[in-house]
Amino acid sequence: MNASRLISAAVALTVTLGLAGCGGGGGTLPAGTSAVAPVRPVGVQDPADIPDGANAGPASCDPRASLRPAVTQPRPGQMPAGSTMAQILHRGRLIVGVDQNSYRFGFRAPLTGELTGFDVDVAREVARAIFGDPSKIQFRATNSAARIPSLQDGTVDIVVQTMTMNCERWQQVNFSTEYFTAGQRILVRRGSPVRGIADLGGQKVCSAIGSTSIRNVAAAPAKPLPVGVPDWTDCLVMLQQNQVAAVSTDDSILAGLAAQDPNAVVVGPRFSDEPYGIGINRDATDLVRFVNGVLAQLRADGTWTRLYTRWLTALGPAPQPPTARYRD
Amino acid sequence: MVPVTATLVPPPVTGVRRAGPAGLRGWIVGGLRDTPRRLAAVLAGLVALGFVVGVVGFTGVRQRSDLIDGVTSRSGALVVAAQNLYRALSDADATAASAFLSGGVEPAAQRDRYKQGVTDAAAALTVIAAGRSGDGARDGAVEVIAAELPVYTGLIETARAYNRQGLPVGAAYLREASGLMRQRMLPAAQQLYQSVAAELDRTRGGGAGFPWIAVLLGLVAIAGLVRTQIWLTRRTNRLFNIGLVGATAAAVVLVGWLGVSAVVIGTRLDASDRDGSAQVDRLVQARVAALQARADESLTLVARGAGGDFDKDYTAVMGRLIGPDGRGGLLRDAADRAADEPTRAAADSAAGRARDWLAAHQKLRQLDDSGQYTEAVTAAVGSDPAATTSIFNELDGTLAGAITRNSDRFEADARSAGRGLSGVDVGVVVLAGLMLIGAAAGIQRRIAEYR
Repeated sequence: MNASRLISAAVALTVTLGLAGCGGGGGTLPAGTSAVAPVRPVGVQDPADIPDGANAGPASCDPRASLRPAVTQPRPGQMPAGSTMAQILHRGRLIVGVDQNSYRFGFRAPLTGELTGFDVDVAREVARAIFGDPSKIQFRATNSAARIPSLQDGTVDIVVQTMTMNCERWQQVNFSTEYFTAGQRILVRRGSPVRGIADLGGQKVCSAIGSTSIRNVAAAPAKPLPVGVPDWTDCLVMLQQNQVAAVSTDDSILAGLAAQDPNAVVVGPRFSDEPYGIGINRDATDLVRFVNGVLAQLRADGTWTRLYTRWLTALGPAPQPPTARYRD
Repeated sequence: MVPVTATLVPPPVTGVRRAGPAGLRGWIVGGLRDTPRRLAAVLAGLVALGFVVGVVGFTGVRQRSDLIDGVTSRSGALVVAAQNLYRALSDADATAASAFLSGGVEPAAQRDRYKQGVTDAAAALTVIAAGRSGDGARDGAVEVIAAELPVYTGLIETARAYNRQGLPVGAAYLREASGLMRQRMLPAAQQLYQSVAAELDRTRGGGAGFPWIAVLLGLVAIAGLVRTQIWLTRRTNRLFNIGLVGATAAAVVLVGWLGVSAVVIGTRLDASDRDGSAQVDRLVQARVAALQARADESLTLVARGAGGDFDKDYTAVMGRLIGPDGRGGLLRDAADRAADEPTRAAADSAAGRARDWLAAHQKLRQLDDSGQYTEAVTAAVGSDPAATTSIFNELDGTLAGAITRNSDRFEADARSAGRGLSGVDVGVVVLAGLMLIGAAAGIQRRIAEYR
């Protein structure tokens, strides 16, 4: 072997090692960005998971009929011994399930952090009747799906949250007499050609999980595609972000959503009947009668009309309060 | 490599070679006896060996020096950027949630902190994006965060605008933003952090690697030189050949220097890992955990009774931070393995603050659970020093200081490891040159004696 060959071998070696040290960084840019999936509200169900209404209750049920109040309503601070109200009195506060996302019914006023609205004020009247003080109250925000479980496990004493009374729910909880009457309609973006649920076949329609509204959407003959979210305001977000074609629920709730966005309008006729009642545990019939006594007084003394005027004039002038119906 | 070294083994001592390699025939004048011809061959072998040792040693040192540079300048910087990104995003999330609790128009300090978080995240993302690796998972994570950060801030600003008008849909935008952060952006940031931390480990491993090839070649050269000298001593009855002895000495120093410097660098890099980056990692994990717990605390209150999952998460995260008994977890670990007294003290003090926080949080939860929601919110975001805001801010500040301290240490250790190689590259070349000259001079003299 001669020296020049050795040198050339060494040079080759040097070159190889030198190149290895440079690393393999290419000059090309990575491929273009792929589209990132659109942001959606936490807990969205698309398509919505609709439970079947197997135990729809007896066909003869009158969902509006509740239990008659006692002849003499107990005075504040003096609840009958052993009653559910006495336990609440002893505890020192009424625990109420409310919504904090339904504008004008139950919502958190962002400026103060306080919960306010028609439902919240009705709940305060119940606290006033027990304690003589409307502030002896603890609110627990519950979304639509959590209302019945919270009543069943005793997390809350009552639920005042745009809650429709129907025969299926009567099997699981008790209701007070009707304190508000709503019906389901449609909310769309201004300029949308949609004029009713019949125009929404094959399009996405948003409702809250666990509401009666989402079942009505799923059962509509036009076959819209129901999308479920935890809270009603999530539906407005999805409508604003063009992720759904419409929102459908009670006109009372829709009016609250439309009031937050001038580009959203409520359209079409009512296509369901939604009587609202205060939800109460199935065993607490004494509390049902007591609450019905409170509601009877609110209707009679003008408080109901005052509260309606305070919160709901956007829905039109205050109508007559719903008439109480009793089954006994 | 192996075939090359095989050809460099000196020719056998005994036995007559009828003909050397063809090329040597022209170079060595014909008619000379076998010994000078063989000497010339030995010289050629030693020269080649010395040359290869020099080249391999030099390039190896350069390569490792580049890797160590990479530890400080590239990988180290990327890790710091990824830590900043992860921390800044968690910070923005926690601040946005507690600002929401404070009412429609959040306090200026919280707004500033949120903006700082977003700015820090964007700056860190720029650094990481500039160091794109071609690693699909990492580039994907960068892409997710880069694409979602403006979406996130847009949602937050929409929430603010609605909050200012007193409309509850603002809270829905905040929930959506927080969900985006927690479900997509923070996992991507964590993935990114793990990826660059693994790269740092790999780079460090390369930098700390022992230069086996150069050292083995050097040992072969020494063996060749020694054997040549034994052979020459037998042939010529002269005990020493100054040139070859010098060449041998140069080879020994070269091999020794390469070996020792590698061991020293390895030790220093280990120290930069153990005392620097591993410690920073624990502290960053602790800080992110504290931020997450802060967001959980706020979101529990925001959910107002429906926040059981957030509260469970708070308990789990605090357990990770200080252990179930308040005496363990990440902060205990950070204190136990602290490389210096101030870091140990900082970790201990942070653990103390975290215990205070847990106690204040439990009081806050009692308030909320007993219906005193407004009082609970005040206990969380009020300006009182007993409010969890103040406790959390102290905890966060303590950890931030300790992280800076240990990042600096990491950089110093890595730089000092780099200095361990300074001069070695030139030294290797000089020593290899001395070896060549010594061998050439020593053998040339013997060849001359045959002329």
